Amino acid sequence: MKPKSIFYSVMVLLLFVAACNNKTEKTGSKRIAVVVSTLNNPWFVFLAETAAAKARALGYEARIFDSQNNTALESDHFENIIVAGFDAILFNSTDADGSVANVQKAKDAGIPVFCMDREINSLNAATSQILSDSYSGAVSIGKYFTQELNKKGAYVELLGLVGDNNTWARSKGFHSVVDQYKGLKMVAQQSADFDRNKAMEVMESILQAHPNIDGVFCGNDAMAMGAYQALVNAGKADKVKVFGFDGAEDAIVSIGENKVAATGMQFPKVMAETAAAYADEYIKGRRDFPQKVPVAVELVTSRNIKDYIAYGKK
Amino acid sequence: MIAQLKIGSDTLKRFQSLIALLILCTILSFMTDKFFTADNGLNVLRQIAVNICIATGMTLIVLTAGIDLSVGSVLALCGAVTVGLLRNGVEIPAGDLFVGFTLLGAILGGLLCGWLLGWFNGFAITKFNVPPFVATLAMLTIARGFTMLYTKGHPISNLGKEFAFIGSGSFLGIPVPVWIAAIVVLLAVFITQKTKMGRYIYAIGGNEQAAKLSGININRVKITVYSFAGALAALGGIIVTARLDSAQPNAGMSYELDAIAAVVIGGTSLSGGKGSVWGTVMGAVIIGVLNNGLVLLNVSPFWQQVVKGGVILLAVIIDKAGERRD
Repeated sequence: MKPKSIFYSVMVLLLFVAACNNKTEKTGSKRIAVVVSTLNNPWFVFLAETAAAKARALGYEARIFDSQNNTALESDHFENIIVAGFDAILFNSTDADGSVANVQKAKDAGIPVFCMDREINSLNAATSQILSDSYSGAVSIGKYFTQELNKKGAYVELLGLVGDNNTWARSKGFHSVVDQYKGLKMVAQQSADFDRNKAMEVMESILQAHPNIDGVFCGNDAMAMGAYQALVNAGKADKVKVFGFDGAEDAIVSIGENKVAATGMQFPKVMAETAAAYADEYIKGRRDFPQKVPVAVELVTSRNIKDYIAYGKK
Repeated sequence: MIAQLKIGSDTLKRFQSLIALLILCTILSFMTDKFFTADNGLNVLRQIAVNICIATGMTLIVLTAGIDLSVGSVLALCGAVTVGLLRNGVEIPAGDLFVGFTLLGAILGGLLCGWLLGWFNGFAITKFNVPPFVATLAMLTIARGFTMLYTKGHPISNLGKEFAFIGSGSFLGIPVPVWIAAIVVLLAVFITQKTKMGRYIYAIGGNEQAAKLSGININRVKITVYSFAGALAALGGIIVTARLDSAQPNAGMSYELDAIAAVVIGGTSLSGGKGSVWGTVMGAVIIGVLNNGLVLLNVSPFWQQVVKGGVILLAVIIDKAGERRD
């Protein structure tokens, strides 16, 4: 009975794997790996899928690896990719310092790595880094924020994951502007882990302590949507201005409906497609790539919303 | 005689969690005048409603000496399935059939989805002797994967006023999620204290071998308990989705830990057989009050995690000390 059931389990598993595996691993064409920090956030799903789609459009086989925000798992992916002999890696790192060793490993094995969106702290490990400028983006949001609040009032900041460097790049960029105005007072600074539900709950509690606030700055759009929901439930949505970051679909729609004041549009499509195009050129022989390609973050408000769609420009 | 003793120690435990809660509330009331208000009370209750639904199911499972790590993922999948049914219905390619769903139909569909996932957990545990920790750990990953497949990694938003009412509406001044949680608790209390099923659950957790010998169909009881917990996780998913007006693919991450914490703080023994649903409610309230209080006091996010862990540990230590005296 026992060996029989094991046999059946293995057969079922093999069937499933075979079904999943149709028409990849074709011999002949070159392969590009897309390693992404997480697929639990629509923004990164979009980044990874766009990169893979562009690579396929250029005639490569593309596979997506999900690091699940875990640098150790990312390291496993790199080892597998090296062993499997991929020709290039389009890479979104889990950690600016922790990921350097992984990239170096690939470089040593002769596989070029192109970083997307998130920087790694090394000047020569990656072939090129196409990066979103979170700090400057947050500076422009900070400027618009002070303007919208007439340089005075009480506000709340919702931080992302406190162990993530994007969280702090955005927070610091924002405060570099806003802290210059004495009239603007931050009454609460709390983390909501980039999560919509957590942001709503944290905001509900903050509203108990500080019922009269004028603005909320959130480290990403998911949190901005959560904070907005809490304000709606408290009947304060029209008194408090909400600011996000990312340019995600829900936020773009909400800015159009005057629910959210502004967001910082990042351009995952531009970054992903540039990285894929670079990988293609590398494979065809080009070697002189710029070490860093900054992709500006643009301020999206009700005034220019008609020029934008989710994750990019119209 | 034995039954009487058990109820006695249960009451004592409930009492202890209550004392811990009162101490916590008193301290918070002194530290901020925003804490002890009717508004904030409702706020806390609304926030813990989801955890109470999940933790109630978890309590029944823990009473049988099991555990369910999959509740967070099941919550996410069933929340997404519910709004998927509501918005898009089901298309059956064979025969070009399209089935649309009313609000109630979609909710029942979501609950059924949770029940089936829970049933599968129970089936793997009883029929194939997979340890509950492993079976539900597998389901944690599987259900999360299906959530990603179903939503393609993107949130499903703008679900309409009727559906949002489940999350943000009120009835007689009390938020709807709180009503739902209250009904769930009363149902579970009824099951554990007044029905044969309840006695079987305690018996299995107390001594599975003895329960088996006394003629209880252990597999059936366990499968029912896991299915029930799955349906309650689905209910939690529907509330979360309605509150946010959006089904998030990453909803419910690490909710299993909050639910287990509520069960443990509430004095239910992880080795089964001892504990109560009321204790779990107290545990969930303590966690909710703590989350709320730390934000009201604007405690740094770094310290919040340390404080939360410390309080969980302290609550259990006090509980164990009481048990020894007992």
